[in-house]
Amino acid sequence: MSVPEPLKGSLSIVRVAPSGADETFIAIHADGRIVAYNGHVDLGTGIATALRQIVAEELDVVPQRIDLVLGDTARTPDQGPTIASETIQVTAIPLRTAAAQARHVLLMRAAARLDTPVAELVVDDGLIRGRDNHSVSFGELVAGDTVRLPLDEDAPVKAVENYRIVGRPLPRVDIPAKATGEAVYVHDVRVPGMLHGRVVRPPYAGLDAGDFVGTSLIAVDETSVAHIPGLVAVVRIGDFVGVVTDREENAIKAMDALKVTWKPTPRLPDLDDLAHALTANPSTPRKLIDKGDVDAAVAGAATRTRRTYVWPYQLHGSIGPSCAVADVRADGARVWSGTQNPHWMRADIAKLLGLPEAAIDLIRLEAAGCYGRNCADDVTADAALLSRAVGRPVRVQLTREQEHVWEPKGAAQLIDVCGALDAEGNIAAYDFATRYPSNAAPTLALLLTGTIPSQATTMQMGDRTAVPPYDYANMRVVVHDMAPIMRASWLRGVSALPNTFAHESFIDEMAAEAGVDPVEYRLRYLKDPRAAALVKAVAKRAAWTPRPVRLPREPDGDIVRGRGFAYAVYVHGTFPGRAAAWSAWVADVAVNVATGDVAVTHVTVGQDSGLVINPDGVRHQIHGNVVQSTSRVLKEEVAFEPATVASREWGGYPILTFPDVPAIDVVIVPRPDQPPLGVGESASVPSAAAIANAVFDATGVRFRELPLTPERVRAGLAAARRPEPAKARKRGWFAGLAAFGVALGGLVLAALPWRGAIAPIARPDPSVYAAETIARGGELAAIGACAVCHTREGGAVNAGGRALNTPFGTVYATNITPDVETGIGAWSYPAFARAMREGIHRDGRHLYPAFPYTHFAKATDADLQALYAYLMAQPAVTQANPQTALTFPFNLRPLMAGWNTLFHRSTATFTPDPAKSETWNRGAYLVESLGHCGACHTPRNALGAEKASARLAGGEAEGWEAPPLTALSHAPIPWSENELYAYLRTGESRVHGVAAGPMAPVVAELARVPDRDIRAMAVYLASLNPQALSASGEAALAAKLEAVTATRVIDASPTGSRIYDAACAVCHQVGGPPLFGARPSLALNTNLHSAAPDNLIQVILHGIPKPAITDLGYMPGFAGSFSDAQVAELVHYLRAQFAPDKPAWSDVAAVVGRLRAAPRP
Amino acid sequence: MPATTRLSVNGHSHEVAAAPDTPLLYVLRNDLALNGPKYGCGLGECGACTVLIDDVAARSCIIPLSACEGRHVVTLEGLGTRAHPDIVQAAFIKEQAAQCGYCLNGMIMTVKALLMRNAHPTDADIRETLRYNLCRCGAHVEILRAARRAAGLDVESDDVRA
Repeated sequence: MSVPEPLKGSLSIVRVAPSGADETFIAIHADGRIVAYNGHVDLGTGIATALRQIVAEELDVVPQRIDLVLGDTARTPDQGPTIASETIQVTAIPLRTAAAQARHVLLMRAAARLDTPVAELVVDDGLIRGRDNHSVSFGELVAGDTVRLPLDEDAPVKAVENYRIVGRPLPRVDIPAKATGEAVYVHDVRVPGMLHGRVVRPPYAGLDAGDFVGTSLIAVDETSVAHIPGLVAVVRIGDFVGVVTDREENAIKAMDALKVTWKPTPRLPDLDDLAHALTANPSTPRKLIDKGDVDAAVAGAATRTRRTYVWPYQLHGSIGPSCAVADVRADGARVWSGTQNPHWMRADIAKLLGLPEAAIDLIRLEAAGCYGRNCADDVTADAALLSRAVGRPVRVQLTREQEHVWEPKGAAQLIDVCGALDAEGNIAAYDFATRYPSNAAPTLALLLTGTIPSQATTMQMGDRTAVPPYDYANMRVVVHDMAPIMRASWLRGVSALPNTFAHESFIDEMAAEAGVDPVEYRLRYLKDPRAAALVKAVAKRAAWTPRPVRLPREPDGDIVRGRGFAYAVYVHGTFPGRAAAWSAWVADVAVNVATGDVAVTHVTVGQDSGLVINPDGVRHQIHGNVVQSTSRVLKEEVAFEPATVASREWGGYPILTFPDVPAIDVVIVPRPDQPPLGVGESASVPSAAAIANAVFDATGVRFRELPLTPERVRAGLAAARRPEPAKARKRGWFAGLAAFGVALGGLVLAALPWRGAIAPIARPDPSVYAAETIARGGELAAIGACAVCHTREGGAVNAGGRALNTPFGTVYATNITPDVETGIGAWSYPAFARAMREGIHRDGRHLYPAFPYTHFAKATDADLQALYAYLMAQPAVTQANPQTALTFPFNLRPLMAGWNTLFHRSTATFTPDPAKSETWNRGAYLVESLGHCGACHTPRNALGAEKASARLAGGEAEGWEAPPLTALSHAPIPWSENELYAYLRTGESRVHGVAAGPMAPVVAELARVPDRDIRAMAVYLASLNPQALSASGEAALAAKLEAVTATRVIDASPTGSRIYDAACAVCHQVGGPPLFGARPSLALNTNLHSAAPDNLIQVILHGIPKPAITDLGYMPGFAGSFSDAQVAELVHYLRAQFAPDKPAWSDVAAVVGRLRAAPRP
Repeated sequence: MPATTRLSVNGHSHEVAAAPDTPLLYVLRNDLALNGPKYGCGLGECGACTVLIDDVAARSCIIPLSACEGRHVVTLEGLGTRAHPDIVQAAFIKEQAAQCGYCLNGMIMTVKALLMRNAHPTDADIRETLRYNLCRCGAHVEILRAARRAAGLDVESDDVRA
């Protein structure tokens, strides 16, 4: 059977674009396809569904039949960026008209074909029926001819009363694919031959104007990434730096490893004091309205009130960092992008690549919701540059940190209001001034490459809803337009949210001063009947009770409740702008006056959006606006540090989570006879004032600066300030060794600095050893964890090369495989035993005591022989390692002879204690000899030797604290035999935590050790901890510790507390939902109770990349995500919260800096 | 060429040639061309990358490939298809529980994991379980309804907070 030729012919409704090309709105094809085109894109708001409804309604087909193309520069009309909630209100109009026009053409043709007057034709899902039950389909009517008709903007559209599709719920067309993992997003694009790119951004995070932009790069050290597998290119153009590799994880490694040198860049302005920063930024006043005589009215008023409102910088905070794919060829480019402005984006790419716009096909795919302009444009340009550099398609994914730091922020704002009441309590004058730092945010690559100058542009976007909706007799509104302070762009509601926060807070305050119910007071000035109707409808739905005077609330424990009102109409576009939907809120809050926590418990939100296309879609948009704006009001504020944007992940910028989502009651005012209005932003606009007014109702305190964080609310309620933490500190091992060199000079003479070589032998034949001996040696090697130090990252086991960082320089572990040339294959047993017992190399050189021969000396000869047999039976690996080269005087190995004289006098083997059990003695032997626990867990003296007087009393390893194993332990629950056993066996003790840092690989090695030996070590170590409890006693104490630390400590670091909630609690909160891996309880964790914060800081910075066993799960390191100051805040919080009986650590920030800078093994 | 790791994903066994420290997320997306798990933060904070490992919710952005050797990984694709959605997927589709939908994978997989360990969760259980899954669009109301539907609870029960 042959496939029939596709039917030819179509009917299109087009418009001639300014460029001269036809732009198509509707195309009906002979094969029955109906394709609708709109230049806007679906940002997750559901317009793809609503636009289908509009087209389907006019054409009388089912919506599922419509094929909708959005934001593809090669195919869709240029209708500007998807902003200001304009899709339904504005860009849908020509689409609807085109559909109506197409329907009319089809009816005319059908009338002729069916010999039936138009009035008698019936359209039924793409089929037109005439007399005698004859019918013809849309496809048949357009077959044969390709007809392109110009859009007739006056074509009559269907009357609303005849609507069957618009105005009714229609399920979103995109959700089934999204819920089942089909390829939907720009992140899912996979092109044949595609490579993976990552960018390395300059240090001037979040600044995009100034002569340092594009000119700060000094050097890129390509050798720093030479080792990365699959590296294709390192790309550098001006300040644009990127890497391209074959695989995504390699691109990440290259991005992290690439050494880039930058010039010093300017510090950020001090944004801790936003009001000052916004006042100090040069500005140009622009008067929007000056009605009546404000100055005279103020002068003559009964009372005058001046108020200042501060809105913070906020993030769009897309849940998916931006991503794009580009395939740039010499003559053109295809670009897959999540941009909200495909045509602008195409122009930017053309400029960046020096290609004509027509040579670029920009395909817009869905991305994570953006609520304005995020980094989608930036990453699109990044992908284009990297693809051009390598001549292949490249996918670029920004990191969470890059998206947070570089996204153009939602701008901060400062509003000053001066108002006056007359004697009757009427607003006699309203003088409003708002300061809005601009937000052009040119596409970053254009700036970084120097393609466009990095000049600050002042835009006029501070005027959204700057004119209040109230008819004040004397009113002046001025916008101070100003250049950006931080890189900024529009964020949902733009300046209308801050402006409305001021308008609606102020009128609420005036109502209270006038002694009038705030709803009634608003209605006095609200002359717009639709607005007044909405206000009344929402007040009624919420069962608003008049409150002319605020009555003190009856507290319920620490909780006081209140209710607030606010109203707004979102006016967008160039002033005077265009109004979108009207919105009003009644917010109910519960304020905890002890903690300062504000909960928004219920919101009644009403909206008049004219004709509703899809009621479900509108309701969901309202829900989304309420949740997101509640989050912005309660929690959101970009944190800055002098040199950077500090909010780099969700701990530094928390958003509202499920338990805090308010109940939402939506009131949609039916206005089917009125044109549809944008609903994407309006319901956000009243949020801040409604919530702040409710907090006033609850507490009697007005808050005029956001967000309403607990500490701000506590401060506002004049709660007690938290005391400064006390100071106390110590510092670590080996540090006193500077005196070592000189002091040792004299000792050398008294010792035996030169030892003879032991002759090399041919590599022993391992078959001479019994299998049992080799197996036994393997267990001993595991107890000694030889492989942990003698194996480099990713290298062959025991082949050496691992760098051990010491204060004297780097010691490289040697190859202990039986390779004759580079390992110990030529070592006889006597040479091996001498090394193990005396620290002497076969050739007579002294070994450094990083090799713990002082412990190994205690091993029995039988065990050393078994170990030797095991090592000789392993595969020989030829691997020459770097020579250890310490700085003078430590490079003089003979000095170690003197050290041995002092600290390694006895080479005797372990002596059992006859008074103790056999198991105890077995454990003591393993711990003290091959196990060499003291090498890390015993403190060292100034010369680096273990203090004999303080055995296992706590030491240091690789920058980690090795906690005391004796009664000096800081563990809140004393270590018992069973918990020691569990820890050594599984890497986790339920009442202590998991093995991390250098201990994790030790426990991993112990997996090869039989239970009886693990038990023996546990028995011995437990005997050093005589206070141990019974299992039930431990459980009871654990429960008690977790219970007493479950209540949030109020005066602990608020910043740290927020980081814990958003970054740590997911895996650490007691009772949290199960996730793969362990859930270590911080209240029980030894590290939080220690005298020093080092281990806690280490694990925060570097995570647990290699747990003892995979069942424990993995902890990511946060070094790249938290600043030193943030880590310090988190550490302070954790200590106060989870070890409340311990003193605060001091100098934490300095320790963080030191541990971050320390070289890592 | 790095050594290969064998892992089971959605009931199929795969040999993957990637470094053992490669986060599972990139293996799923790039080697196995799965779209369900999403990159959101790389730190285990947001939940967009959630998969099931041996029937427990796991954040695939922070779990290396090496940890998955011999384990059973299930992604969103492994639950069901558009034609035959799993009960949780069907509930999310029915309740239109997404705006942009980028977090949807994590929401569905987390609710799935909840129902596998607790067939009869309360409304509070659902909220607490989803506490560490971030949604920026504010689709929370619909997501909670979907989870209630999947759990057999009254979808219309008013979610008024105390």
